[in-house]
Amino acid sequence: MQKVFNNKMAIFLFVFPGILLFALTFLVPIVLSAYYSFRDTLSPGTPSAFIGFANYTQLLLHDSRFWLALRNAVLLGLGFILIQHPIAIFFAIMLDRLGGKAEKWFRTIFFIPCVISVVVISKMWLSLLDPTFGAFNKMLDSLGLGMLKHAWLGDSSTALISMLFILIWAGFGWGLLFYYAGLKGIPDDLYEAASLDGASGFRLHWRITVPLLSPVITVQITLAMITALKQMETVFLTTNGGPGDSTQFLAVYLYNKAFSASQYGYANAISILFIIVCLLATYISNKLTRSDATEF
Amino acid sequence: MVMNSKSTRNILLVTALAAVAVLSACGGGNDKNNNAGSSTNGGTTGSADKEVTLRLFSNLPDRKSGQGLAEQMVIDNYIKANPNVKIDIETLAEEPFKNKLKAYMASNEALDVTMVHGGAELNTLVQAGYVKELDPKEYEGDTFKFLPGVYKSFTFNDKLYGLPRNSDYEVIYYNKKLFDDNGIKIPTTYAELLEAGKQFRAKGIEPMSMNGKDLWSFAAFFQDLVVRLTGDQNLMLDAVAKKKNFTGDENFTKAAELLAQARDTKLFQESFMTADYGASQNLFTQGRAAMWYMGSWEAGMATNDKLPEDFRNNVNVLKFPVVEGGKGKDTDLLAWNGGGYSLVSSSKHPEEAKKFFDYMMSADQWAKIVWDTGAAVPAQKYELTGKESELQKQLTEVLTGATSTAGSIALDSGTPKFKDDAQNAFGKFFAGGTTPEQLLADLQKAAETQ
Repeated sequence: MQKVFNNKMAIFLFVFPGILLFALTFLVPIVLSAYYSFRDTLSPGTPSAFIGFANYTQLLLHDSRFWLALRNAVLLGLGFILIQHPIAIFFAIMLDRLGGKAEKWFRTIFFIPCVISVVVISKMWLSLLDPTFGAFNKMLDSLGLGMLKHAWLGDSSTALISMLFILIWAGFGWGLLFYYAGLKGIPDDLYEAASLDGASGFRLHWRITVPLLSPVITVQITLAMITALKQMETVFLTTNGGPGDSTQFLAVYLYNKAFSASQYGYANAISILFIIVCLLATYISNKLTRSDATEF
Repeated sequence: MVMNSKSTRNILLVTALAAVAVLSACGGGNDKNNNAGSSTNGGTTGSADKEVTLRLFSNLPDRKSGQGLAEQMVIDNYIKANPNVKIDIETLAEEPFKNKLKAYMASNEALDVTMVHGGAELNTLVQAGYVKELDPKEYEGDTFKFLPGVYKSFTFNDKLYGLPRNSDYEVIYYNKKLFDDNGIKIPTTYAELLEAGKQFRAKGIEPMSMNGKDLWSFAAFFQDLVVRLTGDQNLMLDAVAKKKNFTGDENFTKAAELLAQARDTKLFQESFMTADYGASQNLFTQGRAAMWYMGSWEAGMATNDKLPEDFRNNVNVLKFPVVEGGKGKDTDLLAWNGGGYSLVSSSKHPEEAKKFFDYMMSADQWAKIVWDTGAAVPAQKYELTGKESELQKQLTEVLTGATSTAGSIALDSGTPKFKDDAQNAFGKFFAGGTTPEQLLADLQKAAETQ
C-alpha cells in the first residue's frame, strides 16, 4: 500500500476524477459566467457584443435594486447572528439540561421546520400571514389587537420584516442542532469543577459554554452569512422579491434578471459580484471570529 | 501537485480522451435507439411511419378542464390518427413555465413544439434562434381560418415565428349573485366600479380579485384606463416605443390618478400583492370576491365542473367601465393575441413536429375544440354550435361588438427588461404607495432604458 501512495501517477489517477468533476461543475461555469458578464447577452446563444465593464459600472453605480438586495441579505445575516443564534444557543443549553425522553421529544419538535420542504413552509406562511383568513391576523383579533391586522407580506412597510422573521424561524432548527451537538462535546466535569468553585447559572455558561462553543460559533457565523446571501427559495415562492423590491435578495434578483428580464449578461455580472461578496463575507467573518481553539 | 514525469502527462491525455469518448458515446446513443425503434414498428399507415416521440412544452398543467383539456384532446386525436407518434407533454404553471422555457432555450433543449407568449417573451426566443420561422402563406385559407391581424405579436422583422391560439382580451368577470344579494349596482362607469368596491368592502366581501404577485395585470388595468380616457389605443404603445412620454402628459397623469383611486379605496382583495394567478382565481371562484380582472382565456370557468355550481351559474362578464368625461367607449377593447405555439429549431424530428403543429393549428382542431368545450376564444374563425355557455356568449359579444382593439398589451410591446422594470414600478405603486407622478416617472425611465 505504501508503495502505491508513493507513486505520483497513482496519486494523480485517484485525484484526477475529482479535479475533473470540480472543474466541470465549478470552475468552468464561473469562467463562463465571467465571460458572459462582459457581454450584453440576452441569453446564451443570442448574438451579443463585448461591452467591457459596462454591466459592472451599471450595477455598482446606477442600480439601486442591486444595493437594496445586498442590504437585505446583510440584514438577514445580522438577523441570523444577532437573533437566531443566541436563541438557538439558549435553547440548545436548555435541551442539553433537560435529559431523558423530554430531550428527545423537544429535539425532534425543534427540528421539524428543517425537515419540511421549503415549498410547504412558504405556502404555510403565506396563508398564516394572509390578511383575510390568516391565522396570525385572527389571533391578533382575538387578543383585541385588531388594529394591528395587516397584509404582512403584501405591504412594502412590513414585507421585509415578515420575510426576515420567516427565514429566521425556518433556519432555527439547524442552528440549534449544531450548537446542541457542540454542547454534547463539552465534558461535564468542567461544569462540575466550575460549580464547585461557586459559579452558577448565567455565569457558568458565559464563562464555560460560550468559549468552548466558539469553534462552532465561528463556523455558524460564516454559514449564516453565506446562507443569508444565498437566500432564494423561500423569497421566490412567497413574494418573488416584491412587493416593489422590498424583499429583494441577490439570488432572486439575479434569477429574475436572467430569466424574466432577459438580461443574461447583466445577470452574470451580478453572479460574479455575488461570488466576490460571498468570499468577502467569509473572509471577514473568519477574521472577526478567529480565536484559538480551546483544548480540553 | 507537480507533474514531472512524462508518463503522468500521457496519462492525463489518455484520461481526457477517454472522458471525451464517453461523453460523445452518450450523445450517439439516442440515434441508435431511434433507429432500433423504427425497425420494430412495421408500417401501419404508410411509409413515414418510424416511431417517434415528440416533446411538447405547455403552460396548461390542468389536463382535465379548460384549455389544458382542449390541448389534451387535440393531442389524443393526433395520436389516434398517427399511432406511430408518441407525444411527451411537460406542463408547468404560467410563471414557472416562462422561466423554464428560457432555461430550455439556454441549453438548446430539443423540444419539438412549445407554447410561447407573443411579444417580448417570444422575441428573446427568436433572437436566440430557438424557434423556427414559419411561412404565413402556408397558413392562409380554409384549413386554418386565422382572423386578420392576429400574427402581430408573433411577427418580428416581418417574419412569422409562431401561431396564436387565442384571441385574448381583458374583461371583468363578476359574480352576479353577490351583486344581487347585496343590492349593489353592476358598474358601467369607473366611479360606479369604485363605489361598488366600497359597498362590497363594507359588507366584508372582497370587491375585486387581482393576481398582484404576477404584476402584469396592473399594467393591463392601467392600459385599459388610458384607453378609456383617450379613446386612443396607441397612446400607451407609443409611450413604450418612446414616441411619446409617460411624464408630462395629462392623459397619463389622469390615468395614474384613477389607478391610485383603485388602490386607495381598496378595490382589490387585501392580500392582492401576494396572490399569484391561482390564488386570485380561487378567491373569485369560491365566491369570496365579487369580481376578477382577467382575460378571455378563462371562458372555461363556466363549464368547469370542479368549481361550485352556484358559482358557475352566476359568473358573468363585464366590459371595463367607461371613465366619466373620457373619450373612450366601452367597446374599445384591450385585445391582443398573446399565447400560441412555435416550432423549436433544435427539434430532433422536424418533419413530424411540423406535421403535428399544423394539425394542432388547423381550424377543426384547437380552434374548434377550444370553442366547443368553452375553454377560450380562438384566434381563428369559429362557428357557433348553439351549445355555448352563457359566459361564452357574453365573451363573444364583447369581441364582436368591439369598435377598436389594441393589438398588443403594452407590457409585452417593449423588451423583457422594460417589462421587468415596468412591473416593478407597478409593484412599488400598489404596495409601497408611491405617487402617480412617481409611477409615471418610473415607467418613463423603464421605457428609456429598455
